[in-house]
Amino acid sequence: MLRLENVTKIYPTSARPALDGVSMDVEAGEFVFLIGPSGSGKSTLLRLLLREEVPSGGSVYVANWNVARLPNRKVPKLRQRMGCVFQDFRLLPNRSVADNVAFALEVTGKSEHTIRTVVPEMLELVNLTGKADRMPAELSGGEAQRVAIARALANRPLVLLADEPTGNLDPETSDDIMLLLDRINRAGTTIVMATHDRQIVDAMRRRVVELHLGRLARDDARGVYGARR
Amino acid sequence: MNGVGFVWREAVAGLRRNVTMSVAMMLTTAISLGMLGAGLLAVRTIDRTQDLYYSQLAVQVALDEPTSAGDPDCSSPTCAALRGQLQSDPLVAGVTYESRDAAYQRFLRIYAGQSILQLVRPQSLPATLRVTLRDPTRGDAIVQEFSNRPGVRNVVDQRRLVEDLFTFLGSVRNAAFGLASVQALAALLLISNTIQVSAFTRRTEVGIMRLVGATRWYTQVPFLIEAVITGVVGAVLATGGLVLGKLFFIDRLLSGRLISNAIPAVGMSDVLLFVAPLLIVIGAVIAAATGYVTLRLYVRS
Ligand SMILES: Nc1ncnc2c1ncn2[C@@H]1O[C@H](COP(=O)(O)OP(=O)(O)OP(=O)(O)O)[C@@H](O)[C@H]1O
Ligand SMILES: [Mg+2]
Repeated sequence: MLRLENVTKIYPTSARPALDGVSMDVEAGEFVFLIGPSGSGKSTLLRLLLREEVPSGGSVYVANWNVARLPNRKVPKLRQRMGCVFQDFRLLPNRSVADNVAFALEVTGKSEHTIRTVVPEMLELVNLTGKADRMPAELSGGEAQRVAIARALANRPLVLLADEPTGNLDPETSDDIMLLLDRINRAGTTIVMATHDRQIVDAMRRRVVELHLGRLARDDARGVYGARR
Repeated sequence: MNGVGFVWREAVAGLRRNVTMSVAMMLTTAISLGMLGAGLLAVRTIDRTQDLYYSQLAVQVALDEPTSAGDPDCSSPTCAALRGQLQSDPLVAGVTYESRDAAYQRFLRIYAGQSILQLVRPQSLPATLRVTLRDPTRGDAIVQEFSNRPGVRNVVDQRRLVEDLFTFLGSVRNAAFGLASVQALAALLLISNTIQVSAFTRRTEVGIMRLVGATRWYTQVPFLIEAVITGVVGAVLATGGLVLGKLFFIDRLLSGRLISNAIPAVGMSDVLLFVAPLLIVIGAVIAAATGYVTLRLYVRS
């Protein structure tokens, strides 16, 4: 599903490579934690998968796409098959919960009919049916992240990329989000999640890929966060 | 297409979000296009006037006092000789004689009711031989050849006189085009700037669009439409301005008895059927091109 082959990323403004010869494979349906200290290259790896950045060396594959070689006009197709969520939710503040979810469908050209059926489905999936008409400012952090997840899933992506989705949430709310992500993964969506959250990683016992200074430091099939340094 | 409604709504929302700037942008575009339209109308009027004149223009050989006096049909030896010489000249297509009395009658007709009549006596007008040419641009040769012949007071190539008028109209046209291009530059910069501001204001939205896989149709076309709406509204305002200018300025200017014979009127159809469509197309195309270049240069796709 996802494959990195000897991927290197050097930002023009920085001396050290953000990623340095990283290779990994993610099968369809896997749940992968991406961990590592700050600056180790987790977000960079996710951005390469999304073609937000192009690698300086090596190849990136998502499904059948050679991501780095993809012509610009095909990038939207790639992104429609990948959902993503972030620490800061990135909701549109002037649109209601339902409209935020609908937005992803609308700007990818889905019909009115599709929008009317998919939006309630997604809100039900994340347990926000009663709050469809709320504005983002009226939501708790956990609710906001659930809206973001609903939006990310609206186009039925193959993969969900999550960059510290619980970074702004308290432990209890984080657990709710993890339960939701786990449920989504079990329903078939591949998930790659970058995180600093030791408790979550230890509790879930899923595959753990650790980066260190841009290099692959560890890849455990059912791992834990690791020893305290 | 599903996206048409979206693109249209976003474009209109963009214009409304910054009304002050949108209005400034439209007015600048309107003034620029209005100047261009005025220039185009001037060109059209010049063409018409030239057509009108050049068919009728002649070289006038005015006869001196003794030759003019009391000769209704060019029967005096001097006049007859001149006429013969002119008729045998290979440049000349035809010669007609206008006697002093006939000239005075024509004068009375033209200036009926005007005070200038009291100043003019038949004696102050010469008899003339009106010479039409095979090639209207060769008046010089006749002027040269006949100016010093006996019985000739002076020779005037009417084309020369009219050329001053055309020079004047030509400079109106050039001034209009010159102002139009300066103003067009201002309009381009304003449109470009507005798109940049608009794109900046909507960067969160556009960022999310890109993340969820929106094509450029959704991320960029709204800005283009915003620019094109500006161009078209500018063209419509400019047309309105030209119509008002025609009704309250040109029509009055050209309605004087003298000048209305000299310059054909600017028709409403010239403004609405000739200039307006051109302005709308030019406005839309230039705005779209500006938008496209701006998006290419300043806004990440
Ligand atoms: N746009 C950029 N330009 C230049 N350097 C960058 C850019 N983005 C990231 N970097 C650098 O690349 C390295 C990896 O950054 P990255 O954001 O991938 O780390 P991270 O593992 O996500 O860290 P964190 O846990 O703090 O989010 C860092 O040294 C960072 O300074
Ligand atoms: Mg990061």
